[in-house]
Amino acid sequence: MYAQVLEERKKSIRRAADAETSPIRCGARSVSGAVSQRACVYCGARVVLNPITDAFHIVHGPIGCAAYTWDIRGSLSSGSELYRNSFSTDLREKDVVFGGAEKLAAAVDEVMRVHAPALIFVYCTCIVGVIGDDVEAVCRGAERKYGNRVVAVKAPGFSGGKADGYRLAGEALLQFLLPHKGRKKRGGINILGDYNLAGETWIIKRYLEEVGLPVVSTFTGDASCESLAHAPSARLNIVQCAGSMVHLAQRMEREFGIPWIKASFFGVEDTGTSIRQAADLLGSAETRRRAADLTRRESERTRRLLEPYKARLAGKKAAIFVGGGFKAVSLVRQFRELGMETVLVGTQTGRPDEYEVLGKLVGPDTVILDDANPAELERFLRERGADILTGGVKERPLAYKLGIAFCDHNHERRHALAGYEGALNFAEEVNRSINSPVWRYIRG
Amino acid sequence: MSSRIVNLNVNPCKMCMPLGVVNAFYGVAGCICLLHGSQGCSTYIRRHMATHYNEPVDIASSSLTEEGTVFGGEGNLIRGLDNLIALYHPEVVAVATTCLAETIGEDVRAIVRDYLAGRPDCRVKIITVNSAGYSGTRYEGWFRALRALLEQTDADASAHAGVNVVTGPLSPADTRALKRLLRGTGLDFTLLPDISDNLDGGCGAPYSRLPAGGTPLAAIARMAGARATLEAATFVPEEASPGRLLEEKFGVPLFRLNMPVGLRDTDAFLAALEELGGSIPAEEREERARYLDAMVDAHKHVALGRAAVFGEPDLVYGLTRLCCENGLVPVVAATGADCPALKAVLEEEIRPVAENLMLQRFSVLNFADFDDIEAAVAANGANLLIGSSDGRRAAHRRNIPLVRCAFPVHDHLGGQRIRVLGYAGAMRLLDEFSNALISNLEASFRKTIRDRCFGGREGSAAAGKAAGSNRARSATHPCFSEAAGHSFARIHLPVAPDCNITCNYCVRAFDCPNESRPGVTSRVLTPDEALERFLRVRESMPSLRVAGIAGPGDALANFEATAETLRLIRREDPEVTFCLSTNGLLLPLHAARLAELSVSHVTITINAVDPVVGARIYSQAAYMGMRFRGEAAAAMLLSNQLAGLKMLTDLGVVCKVNIVLIKGVNDTHVEDVVRKVKTLGASIANIMQMIPVRGSAFEHMPMVDNKTHEALRGRCESILPQMRHCRQCRADAVGLLGEDQSIRLREAAPAALSSVPAAPGVESPVKVAVASRSGVVVDQHFGFAEQFYIYESDGLSARLLEARRVAGKNAGCGGCGNRPLPEGPEEVEAGGGKIVRALEAVADCGVVVAMRIGDSPSRQLAQKGISVFSTYDSIDKAVKDAVLRCRGAAAADSRFL
Repeated sequence: MYAQVLEERKKSIRRAADAETSPIRCGARSVSGAVSQRACVYCGARVVLNPITDAFHIVHGPIGCAAYTWDIRGSLSSGSELYRNSFSTDLREKDVVFGGAEKLAAAVDEVMRVHAPALIFVYCTCIVGVIGDDVEAVCRGAERKYGNRVVAVKAPGFSGGKADGYRLAGEALLQFLLPHKGRKKRGGINILGDYNLAGETWIIKRYLEEVGLPVVSTFTGDASCESLAHAPSARLNIVQCAGSMVHLAQRMEREFGIPWIKASFFGVEDTGTSIRQAADLLGSAETRRRAADLTRRESERTRRLLEPYKARLAGKKAAIFVGGGFKAVSLVRQFRELGMETVLVGTQTGRPDEYEVLGKLVGPDTVILDDANPAELERFLRERGADILTGGVKERPLAYKLGIAFCDHNHERRHALAGYEGALNFAEEVNRSINSPVWRYIRG
Repeated sequence: MSSRIVNLNVNPCKMCMPLGVVNAFYGVAGCICLLHGSQGCSTYIRRHMATHYNEPVDIASSSLTEEGTVFGGEGNLIRGLDNLIALYHPEVVAVATTCLAETIGEDVRAIVRDYLAGRPDCRVKIITVNSAGYSGTRYEGWFRALRALLEQTDADASAHAGVNVVTGPLSPADTRALKRLLRGTGLDFTLLPDISDNLDGGCGAPYSRLPAGGTPLAAIARMAGARATLEAATFVPEEASPGRLLEEKFGVPLFRLNMPVGLRDTDAFLAALEELGGSIPAEEREERARYLDAMVDAHKHVALGRAAVFGEPDLVYGLTRLCCENGLVPVVAATGADCPALKAVLEEEIRPVAENLMLQRFSVLNFADFDDIEAAVAANGANLLIGSSDGRRAAHRRNIPLVRCAFPVHDHLGGQRIRVLGYAGAMRLLDEFSNALISNLEASFRKTIRDRCFGGREGSAAAGKAAGSNRARSATHPCFSEAAGHSFARIHLPVAPDCNITCNYCVRAFDCPNESRPGVTSRVLTPDEALERFLRVRESMPSLRVAGIAGPGDALANFEATAETLRLIRREDPEVTFCLSTNGLLLPLHAARLAELSVSHVTITINAVDPVVGARIYSQAAYMGMRFRGEAAAAMLLSNQLAGLKMLTDLGVVCKVNIVLIKGVNDTHVEDVVRKVKTLGASIANIMQMIPVRGSAFEHMPMVDNKTHEALRGRCESILPQMRHCRQCRADAVGLLGEDQSIRLREAAPAALSSVPAAPGVESPVKVAVASRSGVVVDQHFGFAEQFYIYESDGLSARLLEARRVAGKNAGCGGCGNRPLPEGPEEVEAGGGKIVRALEAVADCGVVVAMRIGDSPSRQLAQKGISVFSTYDSIDKAVKDAVLRCRGAAAADSRFL
């Protein structure tokens, strides 16, 4: 009845109780043929950079890479909508044989003539790495000719995993920032690793500004070239999605002397801690007082509003399969705040220490998986009797087929999950699915 | 996009070939696909299909790596096949190549041959397809898959009476409808492919990972012996046609037809079935009659339509013809694929219909992206988009309805249930087209006609209506109706601290809670706090009718806060009357927005209508980044006040004009002011005596006596109604006029952290070092910490002082290498060095908190007098607990969890 687990995959699946003595295998390449849920290097780089609203994002490669990433994420903009377009050199057979560099150079010329953006990213996909286009040369040539920034992001899909793409994106951002190194310090905070999904960057920014902490720039939710250029003048970086941005934070510390801390705006408790920490490090006594006020007031209010949800959700069993370990940890804790136990938790790209934390957080029988495939998810969802799965777009239909509720924690969502209002939205979303009448008939 | 770019594909109207291959193989029984390439291809295609079909889509990948790319991916592919077969137990595996595999020259056919040769017991049929993403689109991929399937299946050419039906990309629901029709004809048929169950399965029965529906391999084998093949695809090239292959290889006669979309092509399809000996079910005849009836019902509506049809060649052809036969002019027909043949046939199709309606312009676009399509939509005046949900951005931008009837549909449900085929599909489409056009017309015709009649002075009728309801609200506004002043309460929300002019009678200090005069408040609120105060007051004060913003500065000089406050309150309370007061300097900028925010009442303070007089009252004005003084300031202010007042009253907002009566300055000028503002539509004037404020320029000015004040009001009464019940309220006033409750209702002032008195006996704060990765939870080993969060705490509160890096950590993260950081404990350098550095990093602390710590470092810390705690908890709480415990127990090595 239950699907077998491939021999090669067994080390990546653990009961929490066993994980302590026999740590889970993670960070490895996906097993060929196992139907991994992971994406590629290009994907990692693209998701980090694409929210920069007025940059020109050119996908140098065949049409698929561009078509499947066109405006698929809910990053919002308060300014330009340029980033919501898809630009691709649309390489075809002829280009593969004769090279695509000329086509790219012509495209960049045209883009400069028509739009003259301050910043162009050129993403190199799988075949560009193989056919040997000298993209760096095209970019350097364009920079000399036009005086703007044209940054190559060499992200062939086969050259690693999504996390390698994050790192490449960080390096590309740094390349853009370096010429602005000399900016005078003006104080304030950069928010790193928030992509303004459903306006989440705005929520975080509002909290910080409300307590008197100016935000200099945001990486990369609702970022513009102009706002990013000011980043070196900040006095503190706070890093929300650690997986994608710690590398850049470390580089910015070295290059610009900006210290950084990690932060989390998922859940009532973490949100409060993160606001107060920022105020502690940068703020006056007045700012700290306001941070204490705001977090106390908001957490009391939010907890009050969460009560009716808890009454409806306590005792239900949650399953989690998301991209990064950090998000998984905060989800386990958020479910716990709602009185729900997590019976399955897995990630695409979690790291050993994150898995260790997960092991401590959940009960001994909870199953922990790294880079799980649909067959494994199916098996353990059924075996552990999960009531709801939290995950991305690809996992949703599977949950539904198994008669299990689903909470969308992907990049396409239209509801914010960060901050106090996000904590409420999360409970609302979980309740909306888990307590729907439809399951009675489906499982009947 | 404002300008066009030709060297780039801007917003693609196509998908890549491997997607088409996988899509078609979903119509083969017991089949699962493996893409030979990097991991991203399968994941992206899965996501693309799963959101359209709302079904699980499993596609394996050989997960090619750098090594595989350089030295060949054979090993990956073989391992992948083994694993996939073990996991899914499929009957058929389709191995499709991707851009990468083709570019590095993988010979998948040979690899698979060797694979099978080495596994004589393997009963799985493995089909290989060469499908570089760059060599075609989903459309070509679909047919390439079918052709490979027919080529590589062991054919059973023994003749039988059955008929093959081969289709291009169809929805599962259309496939089901086609199957029903074929069954009804009594013909023995094989439909290839059949995605009806696999991409639109039911719920309830046990879920099967392996797609169980679809055309069985045995049936595919028998296609070689069929009597005929019907291929319902117009534009597939001969060399890619699956039917042609059957004809050339096995002599099965091929009949190529259009997809049965619309009346003519469905008729032709049924005729072909009849010719092959099928009997057409009576329901089809009835359905046809009903479609004819629907065409007549719809014809006048759809004749107003100017459609833009986009998508894959066959579907664009079918939909365009359907539009044409109904008199709905396709002013744009576009495909993203490279299909030059489409242009001539469609132009011929569209021209007569366009000429009937005297339309000159229509465009047939080949190899188009959405940038091309949108430009043609604009140029040709399309008012209806027909195609996939990829057209939604153009639809939003141009405010044109989009009928979603093609793959992919990502923003609506039901992609798997799209109906296009046959009379029933046509009927459904026609209704959707008509209704989209009707809804648009219904939503716009009143305004269009009114604008035409009133010469574009749009809004005047709406403003008239707004004025009526706004005036009605005055009855419950204590400042606009004296009677209301006794029974209805208002709240002033002090959210606007800044001011942009300097009046000589004002001091901009707002921290004195004991004065009651305009411009005074004890504490400025944020919009959220204002909302909270409003909600609290409303609870305890049922007579509350008005929420106003009266400073303490100028409501419009703080427009963001003002607007946000109003927006938040309106969300909670649709009824309450909005009111605000302003000096009017920024009114022309914000008047329209105020009306949008449903502000019904505005008070403008206008003390003079002569700049010479004004210059004695105002010392300066800051406007648009410039600072004006003297008469220039007064003139600037005045012109904006008057223009703004007019704009507001035109919008139907009820306006009150406040005039501060200043003896010897404007006391003889007030009547002029009242007269002027009346002509601009002000409803009421409020002449107030100036209150000399200590510290202001007019500190020593005498007040006008009550008698003179009253007499002046009497004279002005004949010009404009006068407010005589003004109490000159505070900017945070609450309640009935004259009964300010603001002090009682103010929040208890939150105790400042810094002012928390030290509890007797509590010692000075101690430094605490916390090992944390996440920064919000104690979740790190002491020895592996890359940084410590250094807190200072007295046990009651905790303050983060710094995030302190441990020396020597992060070395080699300079971004020069390609490998990720050493993240896991096992990768971190071994030996005592790291512990020494960690100990150094916390040397100045009194307490260390970590998720875990080894015995040796724990002892070493204890020797230095540093207390150690291990816990997993939120960072704040852990720090405070540790300090309290440390002091309570005074036992340096006590632990808690």
